[in-house]
Amino acid sequence: MTEALTAAEGDTLARARRELWQAVCARDEYAAARAVFGALDSGAGTEDVLLDVIAAVQREVGRAWAENRFSVAQEHSATAIHDRIIAAMAHRIPEPSPTGAAGTVTVACVDGEWHALPARLLAEVLRGRGYRVDFLGAQVPTPHLIAHLHSTSPTAVALSSSIPLRLPAAHTAITAVQALAIPVVAGGSAFGFDGRYARLLGADAWAPDARAAAELLGRGLRRPARGAVRQSIEDLPHLADQEYTLVLRSRRQLVKNALAGLLERVPAMRAYTDAQHERTAEDVAHVVEFLGCALYTDDGDLFTGFLDWTGDILEARRVPSRVLDPCLVLLEEELKDFPRALGFLARGRETLRRRDARPPVPGPDSSA
Amino acid sequence: MTAPHSTGLTIMTRVERPPAHAGQGLLSSVGASWMRAPYPALVVDAHGGVVEVNARAAGLFPRAAAGVPLADVAPDWLVQAHGRASEGAGEPAAGPGGSARGRHAQWSLEAHPTRGVDGQIVWWLVDDTDRALAEAALKSEQERTAFLADASSRLLASLNSQRCMEVAVELAAEFLADAAVLVAPASGRRHPLATCVDGEVEHLLARIDPSAVPGLAEALQGFPPVPSRWIDPASLPDWAVPGGFGGPVGSVVVTPLPGHGVPAGALILLRRSDHAAFDTSEEVFARVFAARAGAALSAARLYMEQSGITATLMAELLPPMLQRVHGVEFAGAYRASQDSERVGGDFYDVHPGTGPGEKTLAVLGDVCGKGLEAAVLTGKIRSTLQALLPLAGDHLQLLRMLNGALLNSRHTRFATLVLASVLRREGTTRLSLTSAGHPLPLIVRHDGTVEEAATSGTLIGALPDVRATSAEVDLRPGESCLLFTDGVTEARGGPLGDVMFGDRRLRAALAECAGMPAEAVVERVHMLVAEWIGDNRHDDIAVMAITAPRTTHLTAVDGHTPGRYTT
Amino acid sequence: MNTSPDHIFDLATSLDAEGGARISITGDLDWDTAEELTAAARLCLGAEPPPRRLHLDCARMTLCDSLGLASLLMIHRAASGSATRLHLENRPTALQRLLEMTGTADLFTDRADESGQGGATRPPLPPRQP
Repeated sequence: MTEALTAAEGDTLARARRELWQAVCARDEYAAARAVFGALDSGAGTEDVLLDVIAAVQREVGRAWAENRFSVAQEHSATAIHDRIIAAMAHRIPEPSPTGAAGTVTVACVDGEWHALPARLLAEVLRGRGYRVDFLGAQVPTPHLIAHLHSTSPTAVALSSSIPLRLPAAHTAITAVQALAIPVVAGGSAFGFDGRYARLLGADAWAPDARAAAELLGRGLRRPARGAVRQSIEDLPHLADQEYTLVLRSRRQLVKNALAGLLERVPAMRAYTDAQHERTAEDVAHVVEFLGCALYTDDGDLFTGFLDWTGDILEARRVPSRVLDPCLVLLEEELKDFPRALGFLARGRETLRRRDARPPVPGPDSSA
Repeated sequence: MTAPHSTGLTIMTRVERPPAHAGQGLLSSVGASWMRAPYPALVVDAHGGVVEVNARAAGLFPRAAAGVPLADVAPDWLVQAHGRASEGAGEPAAGPGGSARGRHAQWSLEAHPTRGVDGQIVWWLVDDTDRALAEAALKSEQERTAFLADASSRLLASLNSQRCMEVAVELAAEFLADAAVLVAPASGRRHPLATCVDGEVEHLLARIDPSAVPGLAEALQGFPPVPSRWIDPASLPDWAVPGGFGGPVGSVVVTPLPGHGVPAGALILLRRSDHAAFDTSEEVFARVFAARAGAALSAARLYMEQSGITATLMAELLPPMLQRVHGVEFAGAYRASQDSERVGGDFYDVHPGTGPGEKTLAVLGDVCGKGLEAAVLTGKIRSTLQALLPLAGDHLQLLRMLNGALLNSRHTRFATLVLASVLRREGTTRLSLTSAGHPLPLIVRHDGTVEEAATSGTLIGALPDVRATSAEVDLRPGESCLLFTDGVTEARGGPLGDVMFGDRRLRAALAECAGMPAEAVVERVHMLVAEWIGDNRHDDIAVMAITAPRTTHLTAVDGHTPGRYTT
Repeated sequence: MNTSPDHIFDLATSLDAEGGARISITGDLDWDTAEELTAAARLCLGAEPPPRRLHLDCARMTLCDSLGLASLLMIHRAASGSATRLHLENRPTALQRLLEMTGTADLFTDRADESGQGGATRPPLPPRQP
């Protein structure tokens, strides 16, 4: 948090937050801009508006979608409105000197990561603090990132990812960047609430939010030792058991077999429409992907965390989370010879049982 | 790593000159044959007095003579070893324990005692200077090999030439000298320089006269280096000595950085006057290092040049960022078929009308093939269309002209495309849509209904004539028209991995996009397709949304702070 | 749906008694293989005298991308030059759709064939699943 925020400043930001939230609910771009520029005109700092107004409202948008209060269209529209406002705000931030007094930073999302807004906010915060920033946007394939780094040679790379499923891709990106002797600061919810996965994958630093990332970069990061590209197994020796590789390679067959099994065991599925079958197939594919991700990191929390999150999403849409259990049972049968996978699946089933036992929660959780 | 200045050879030549007092037929208890022994030897009595010295030993200890105390002529380690050996005189012949080793003048010696009579000890001296030198050389050879391996990986880690120069001077200043200056070939009239002293790297672009440093002009042209001893440190110009160097320069090496075919620059190494001067082996080693640095630098420069060319090309070929034009939103997204090959066969463009009352022309298309060949054809289509803009009102005529420009007797590479002329009048946005052999545009209405534009036509560039019929479509606020290439519908993937995304899914995705801004429509479709594909191979994918804004747009209404809001 | 991992591409050329040539296409006609078809067709068309008809049998064609279509257009151009009638037979649904979308279906639809889409030599295959 910024130090010494006066009460008046706090009020300005709180009001802007309220107004922006109402504006994005109404998909009213004009009102949204008024909320943000009003706060800026009453003296609120650019960085505070970016992080304590826009980012805060965007988080609320995500929650609203998860709790089924926002449609896909509303969520996308809100994000688009935020994007436009940030672009307009960028005109307020003076261009840094071409020599880049504070340094040059490349900000990018991991390949497959679509949530560009957190990275974009960081880019704007760093620009505001005098950095030269190259913002590469959402889902940057690692070869593109590396080609960009060769031609610009920044002092650091900030890598953003919100979905743990992208951790293997993030790992590839981290090691490839470090092989150029450029340090990587990782951020975003994919890396864990305490940055555990950033450490696991060998990132040079982890930041819980944009301010912390800016502070870290301000203190300067050591250049990693140059040399050959570190291979994934050097950071993650458990990959030697091949469970990750085999599950990943056979994931489509796993999904097909699990779907066939579900059709046999869950009679209700026989009445499903094509679209419902496809949703089910997507859900099963997701379970398998998260299982793969847990195998990659050797961290069962990733799998149970996913099931909890999916459980919330399903329950918000009036589907009991125990519908996931038969799928886990089928995967247990498919993966008999995979002790790590079996361990994760058992923990996953336990998670579902616990959810089922607990009383239904009335209304959405409103805590921050 | 500085090597000792003498070699085993010198000691032998010196010893060849017998001292005047040696070889006088002195008798000794150990016999006379030792006088001709190939090793230096001296006989010392129990009290530490020299008894006899053979010819070779006399070479080592010129002042040694009978009666002179050993302590006066020999190094301490030998005197002490003699003391220890004399104390143990009553014991059986000294084993290896009695031997000693140490330096004497420039030599490294091993001394082995043999007991004689009356407590006398014969010290046999073995010159192991060669071995010590060899060991030192071996150690430094290992260090050098390790350094070179490390240097190579550090130098090759970056294909950025500035970064590469930085690494080269850092390494050189750390391992080879007190400071290093890398002079790159001139760009224009100035030379890029990188300097490093005490780990501090600096980049300069300076007008310098290379001939001011002996051997530098030659090194920059790739001629062999001049020997270090020819270079007078005092004659160096100021720019050749980094600011923080401190103290006078003692010795200088100038070595070329050989590139791939052309010189990649030259490296100036500086040592302070209180540091040993560069010796020949160090000069040779500096050259070996310079060869690696030069290769890395040359590769980096080549890469930068090529990526610069590619970037220029791509700036021409990659689709533009789209935005709002005359009250209508345009947004586009493009994903190339292979990640390493960024330009491909899909393209889109928006040519804004000259005023709010003029039609804006949007084009989205797909040329046959992939890679550079496709990119060249794409470029041709885009530039031809640009030239034909005055005809934009008549789509069929435009397509005929374009077809004529593309027809080629040697091949039948073709393009398919959609033209959209867009004009907003009051609340309604009117589109004229023409497909030239391209997948039909889809329109999403505000209630989520998805329609296909009723247009058809032949592909462009392979047939002598073209046919086409256009469709007129009106968009109300919140409605969008989606143009896309077949990479979208033919994308294979999904949870089962091998299913086409297809028309049905695209329409279902679009139905959810009613009322969204153009960017969000494009992002939504693009994201669903990309997630569908997963890590499968895929063709180029391009989508463009043309949207009638749902609410009044900022630019139109935000009057209270003029000029601020300029998206 | 062609899920077999090994899409083998093959061209089989044969001549019939009436002076016609036939090329049977097996597999994907795309970036990798289109040139091969063009070359095979040129070889047929270059014969002295040129064949009266050239049949391209697409019954076993699993895919035709834009370069595949470019190859068909090239063969059409060459056939017109040598006064050979080109017949595109047993078109899979996807190919037919591609021809229709690109406005090229007419080029390959021989008036004499209209009674039986696949020509006289074999019955049309059932439509393929898209």
